[in-house]
Amino acid sequence: MRYVKLSAENFSPFFEALKELGKIYGPVKRNSTYTFVQVDNVKELSLDYTRTILPPKKFFVKPRDKLFRLKKENWEDIKDGESFVLFGVHSCDIHGLKILDKVYLGDPPDPYYKSRRENAFIVGISCMPDEYCFCKSLGTDFAMDGFDLFLHELPDGWLVRVGSVKGHEVVWENQELFEEVTEEDLKHFKEFEEKRAKAFKRSLNKEGLADILDLAFNSQVWKKYAEKCLGCGNCTLVCPTCRCYEVCDNWIRAYEAVRERRYDSCFMPTHGLVAGGHNFRPTRLDRFRHRYYCKSYFDPSAGFNCVGCGRCDEFCPARIEHVRVLEEVREGLL
Amino acid sequence: MNPYQSYDAKIIEIRELTSREKLFTLRFTDREVEEGFTFKPGQFVIVDLRGYGEFPISLCSPPTRKPIQLCIRRAGRLTRFIHKFGEGDSVGIRGPYGNGFPLEKMEGANLILVAGGLGMAPLRSVLWYAIDTGKFEKIYLFYGTKSYEDILFRDEIIYLLKHGEKLNCHVKLAYEVETPSCIYLEKGFSEKVCKGVVTDLFRGEEFDVNNSYALICGPPVMYKFVIRELLDRGLSPGRIYMTLERRMKCGIGKCGHCVVGTSVSMKYICKDGPVFTYWDALSTRGLI
Ligand SMILES: Cc1cc2nc3c(=O)[nH]c(=O)nc-3n(C[C@H](O)[C@H](O)[C@H](O)COP(=O)(O)OP(=O)(O)OC[C@H]3O[C@@H](n4cnc5c(N)ncnc54)[C@H](O)[C@@H]3O)c2cc1C
Ligand code: SF4
Ligand code: SF4
Ligand code: FES
Repeated sequence: MRYVKLSAENFSPFFEALKELGKIYGPVKRNSTYTFVQVDNVKELSLDYTRTILPPKKFFVKPRDKLFRLKKENWEDIKDGESFVLFGVHSCDIHGLKILDKVYLGDPPDPYYKSRRENAFIVGISCMPDEYCFCKSLGTDFAMDGFDLFLHELPDGWLVRVGSVKGHEVVWENQELFEEVTEEDLKHFKEFEEKRAKAFKRSLNKEGLADILDLAFNSQVWKKYAEKCLGCGNCTLVCPTCRCYEVCDNWIRAYEAVRERRYDSCFMPTHGLVAGGHNFRPTRLDRFRHRYYCKSYFDPSAGFNCVGCGRCDEFCPARIEHVRVLEEVREGLL
Repeated sequence: MNPYQSYDAKIIEIRELTSREKLFTLRFTDREVEEGFTFKPGQFVIVDLRGYGEFPISLCSPPTRKPIQLCIRRAGRLTRFIHKFGEGDSVGIRGPYGNGFPLEKMEGANLILVAGGLGMAPLRSVLWYAIDTGKFEKIYLFYGTKSYEDILFRDEIIYLLKHGEKLNCHVKLAYEVETPSCIYLEKGFSEKVCKGVVTDLFRGEEFDVNNSYALICGPPVMYKFVIRELLDRGLSPGRIYMTLERRMKCGIGKCGHCVVGTSVSMKYICKDGPVFTYWDALSTRGLI
């Protein structure tokens, strides 16, 4: 990895330089929450944000996504090939994208997702946890790859990790903005990380978790929470690793239709419904449990399907807490 | 190449099999696609009614014969729509998808095909593949149907009831609703046709469990009963293959609809299946 330093006064020129790569999307405060939107000026950015409602997956798997346009009986691909910059992505969300990559870039790759991934320039940014974060216990609190540049906050600027060839190119072409990293900077970097590690309030015990959950299939805890759950599907919409979609064809003119996919949620009763009325997950309990199984599925090569971002907790209207449910299921079994 | 893009295929023949099922014979418009299209019994395609939607359907013809055929039950919105299509109309087809039955592995062994209702569709592909290639010891087909009127591929089934043994193929049929036609059929083939459910057909049948494979397809409730019957006879779970169904949208492991299992084992029916062994069912909750 290459490390360089970006001083505080060069931050704005650096941001301007990134515009070469395309539109820049970054975290902006909207009322009491944050969202990734197009940003023209560094002043609009909220770099100390906690989490956005929708994770950056919305740029790769769009809430509504047009795939094909039907013209004269033939489908034409709808391509969106513009390069763009995602500025200020937290480590957990970078891990979230890596989990999506496993699915969408796996054979056969999804061409829409793939081109957006290739067109994106990702600038990570260090963060401080709030009461919902538990990424540290999942090992997703630090990104080793999956970004082009990663900015770590220093008292007088940023320590920048260069994570890709594209990242190198940007640093190379804007050499005048960067300096060598000093011993002092490294000391500050280390201090920041230590302070951050101590700031986590929530943690998930993942020891044997996958097996314990499987054994607890009939646990009363699932039932208790399924009764509390409103089945609204918020937790799946905001999750950086949830990616179920539904497909619809819509006629827009007499001779023109579009095929569109949009977010679906395993909390919807139709998710497992097939023709003839058979439903493979008929009850709220089946659906509630399924989500926890899906998020806690453990892939030896990729880890869990949850990155501990805390979104599902923050945005659950029934105040159901992910870690709490899992801990109770564990306690109920042991 | 966009994996969601379907190829244009022309419906060259439509046969009414029952009041609910039609058999569509299709040929790809592009010659190269038509010639290059190969598949394994047990695989499926996604039918694209462009502008209306897509749905998955098993290939019900054997890979040894062209053109391809799909047996489609009128079950919901899109299948009702395709039942209105006529010969000469065209649809989109993408695939084939799924793993299919590992028939190479079964060569030289007995095949016990157990079909319930529409489950006959994918197993017909195995049946004729096995007959056409002659690579298997003996083929058993145990087919459970609601009534005489619901028998899929009735002409083929009656032909095999009559002449099957010459083709190394032993066919038996169970029906649930008694009608004059059934009774007539039962009289003609008293040893092969009976009133009852598909497991009743196992009665009186002997097969070498060390040299047989069972291939099952039917409605969700059927699996447990059939599997119990086969296990009782000593067939190893690894020799029991079943093909399963789930809601599907993409067919290639992206949309998440067909995912089953728990934190230790999750499977995509579209990609890891739709064919699974009983070992898979034992290690993946919710598979059957
Ligand atoms: C691997 C596989 C093989 C199949 N093979 C056959 C076959 O050979 N013959 C046959 O008649 N049917 C088969 N089916 C079932 C067939 O896919 C459904 O009957 C069909 O999707 C119903 O669509 P619809 O629009 O008419 O129904 P609706 O109820 O209006 O369904 C709307 C949509 O939901 C989805 N859906 C609904 N039911 C099913 C289902 N059972 N499986 C998957 N997706 C579903 C589809 O995307 C469908 O377009 C198979 C299903 C699977 C998964
Ligand atoms: S399950 Fe909750 S905490 Fe985990 S990644 Fe999804 S939204 Fe974040
Ligand atoms: S956000 Fe909360 S209430 Fe809504 S489906 Fe998820 S767990 Fe249930
Ligand atoms: S059908 Fe989409 S994941 Fe299996």
